[in-house]
Amino acid sequence: MDYGYFIDGLMNAITPLNLLFVFLGGLLGTIVGMLPGLGPATGVAVLIPVTFGMEPISAMILLIAIYYGAMYGGSRSSILLNTPGDASAIAASFDGYPMAKKGQAGQALAIATIASLVGGTVAVIGFTFLAGPLADFAIRFGPAEYFLLMLFTLSAIVSLSRGDMLKGFISMLFGLVLSTIGVDAQSSVYRFTMGLPQLAEGIDFLIVIIGIYAVGEVLYNFIAINRPPEKKNKVESLWFTREQWNASKLPIFRSAPLGFIVGVLPGAGGSIASMLGYTTERQLSRTPERFGQGTAEGVAAPESANNSASVGALIPLLSMGIPGSGTTAVLLGALVMLGIQPGPLLFESEPTTIWTLINSMFIGNLFLVVINILLVGLLIKVLDTPSNILYPLILMLGFIGAYTLSYSTIDFYILLAFGVLGLAFKLLRFPIAPLILALIVGHDMEQNFRKSLIVSDGSASVFFSSPISVVLIIMIILSISVPFILSAVKNKKAKQA
Amino acid sequence: MKRIILLLLSIAFIGGCSAEQSQGEESDYPPDLIEFVAPATPGGGWDLTARSMQRALNNNELVESDINVVNKPGGGGEVGFQYLKNRDSNTLAVNSSLLFTNNELGLSELSHEDFTPLAILATEWQSIAVGPDSDYDNLEAVMEQLKKDPESLKIGVAPGLGNDDHLSFIQAAQEYGIDPSKLDFLVYESGGEVVTALLGGHIDVATMSVSEASEQYKADRLDIVGVSSEERLEELPEVPTFKEQGVDLVFPHWRGVMGPPDMTEEEIAYWDERLQQMVETEEWQTILENNQWDDYYMNAEETEQFMDEQEQTYQELLTNAGLTE
Repeated sequence: MDYGYFIDGLMNAITPLNLLFVFLGGLLGTIVGMLPGLGPATGVAVLIPVTFGMEPISAMILLIAIYYGAMYGGSRSSILLNTPGDASAIAASFDGYPMAKKGQAGQALAIATIASLVGGTVAVIGFTFLAGPLADFAIRFGPAEYFLLMLFTLSAIVSLSRGDMLKGFISMLFGLVLSTIGVDAQSSVYRFTMGLPQLAEGIDFLIVIIGIYAVGEVLYNFIAINRPPEKKNKVESLWFTREQWNASKLPIFRSAPLGFIVGVLPGAGGSIASMLGYTTERQLSRTPERFGQGTAEGVAAPESANNSASVGALIPLLSMGIPGSGTTAVLLGALVMLGIQPGPLLFESEPTTIWTLINSMFIGNLFLVVINILLVGLLIKVLDTPSNILYPLILMLGFIGAYTLSYSTIDFYILLAFGVLGLAFKLLRFPIAPLILALIVGHDMEQNFRKSLIVSDGSASVFFSSPISVVLIIMIILSISVPFILSAVKNKKAKQA
Repeated sequence: MKRIILLLLSIAFIGGCSAEQSQGEESDYPPDLIEFVAPATPGGGWDLTARSMQRALNNNELVESDINVVNKPGGGGEVGFQYLKNRDSNTLAVNSSLLFTNNELGLSELSHEDFTPLAILATEWQSIAVGPDSDYDNLEAVMEQLKKDPESLKIGVAPGLGNDDHLSFIQAAQEYGIDPSKLDFLVYESGGEVVTALLGGHIDVATMSVSEASEQYKADRLDIVGVSSEERLEELPEVPTFKEQGVDLVFPHWRGVMGPPDMTEEEIAYWDERLQQMVETEEWQTILENNQWDDYYMNAEETEQFMDEQEQTYQELLTNAGLTE
């Protein structure tokens, strides 16, 4: 680490113009993150033409600020409306929405913001010191390791729906089936596309998220509209309590490095990170039954993991030129247009650029906390909005969001279909998260499975052939069996007593 | 009587409107707003081409109209091309060889004859790369091994079979006397993932565009054994071409631009003039350099002829790859 470059970078980052760009990027990111469907990828893509005349480094600061700003925004709508802004914010709705229902929306928003700050900052520190070695670790993940990592995520999510594992499992299978729609890359065969070119790349999971959560939620409330209104809890304080902080402290600091490492793996990304953050904390908790009922650490853990994953994903992007997600792919395109060529040489040839970026990310995270805390008072008013104004608005935003994904009207029908499905899931009390996660990872999981077998010429030994694989297999077995063992032990104790 | 007058009036009105419109089209080209369709999501090569054109044309004031880039992803370009087909001459789209291959593979009814070719703008070159410690450190060694046993080396490609990355390797193998339908390809989502797989030793050989491989090559983390250009590339002077190594093949990965069917002579001439000016601007040259593209400009007439030849080539390649019959 060279302190000269660090100082140069800091000086660059705190020029008034660059500070303004960090602030604008963060604010814009928070807003696009909040709106269902409108994610960082769209936000960055729309702003690319604006950056044409700018200094490359300022443009990079602005675009990357939108990217991590959106991670702060994503949890806002999960907590307030049970409608995640993007896939990585789904886990925040598990406890965030129940908290809001209890009148603790302000506390949930505040703890999520602080968790995001810690996650983001820990990850930037990690980025500073570990970018090189971690990039080398990530390339050791081959198809077999990826397949096992995804299988682990799915097993973790199913074990989440403990008590109703069967329903969780059915929901997951449904997601896996949906993920087979589209072209099979290994053979170029088109499956279940019904001749529609729009389906060739499969169903975009963001449409499924908007459909199931936003449209489904609206339909559900529409059915419930003639019932007596739910008793509204008075909104408690806008800041979290000491007890909530004490409960969340450890989960926040544990989830940050976890999310960071998952983020570094190309293709894994924020949705897997936040889901693993949540399930890990639930496994470790002494009171797992409180999860899902509106507990602060259930919001804090996934938000911390998600934010640090978003910074972690910048490592393969900048140090190897490998985008790990849709958004980082857009960022890669934008950087190349700006004349910044991400790759192993970037850190050596343009250290000032990298250090300016690192410093601006520290500053950006601080700005984002201020922005998001100030917004809490305003956002909380959403809860007082009468249903007949709020729900049409959500529907409108949902449709706009779906349209911006690929500018195709066919997506509206898919959106509506999933809205109805979401309603059915709600009425039948099926968990939704396994379906969405299976849809997100299903495609890659299958492709990696196929690639593993091509490499090994059909032998299953490929799944046991590296230390990483073996560790992952053990984790899979544990995540499935631990809940059973625990409940067996509990039963035994109960009998003895 | 009243009705008849009304009818006549409305006919006259409609006639007047349409007359005005057609007049307007002739004198008013280009319209105030021009749309460039990138038939892919933001971030990919097509998107980059469309946005680069937007940038070079507007910043140099070659086109006075506002230019809007619209992304129409889906079906390997099919969604965007279908969209273009039903538009006026105010809409253009970026294209590449996928226009032929989709048609050949039965994924699309559209072919280049359904559109008005306007220009070929730039090309990338293909590269074949291996890991840094590979036993096969030149193209002949790779091909010899594949000739002995076509399944012995795993070849990484992205994002789908039938694209230029895939077909350039097919053609190279074929030139060397290997049955390309026997080769083992691993299909990844993006060029970046192919590079990662090669660095991690999960595949033996990778085929991708030069720009996707060159950064890692310069950092000495992988080895490019050959490029598909006619002569060695300026930025990689020590990398031999396919031709130098007994594989008689030049394979451009070109990008062009086309308009909807039935554009008028005048409209074609307009774009011929503007695009020719565009490729000479400093801005466009910088874009080419940043993306490691080469100038490959052809005007509308040359493009039409080029397209006919290319269609022929791709037809044969797909058949030999075992993807079509």
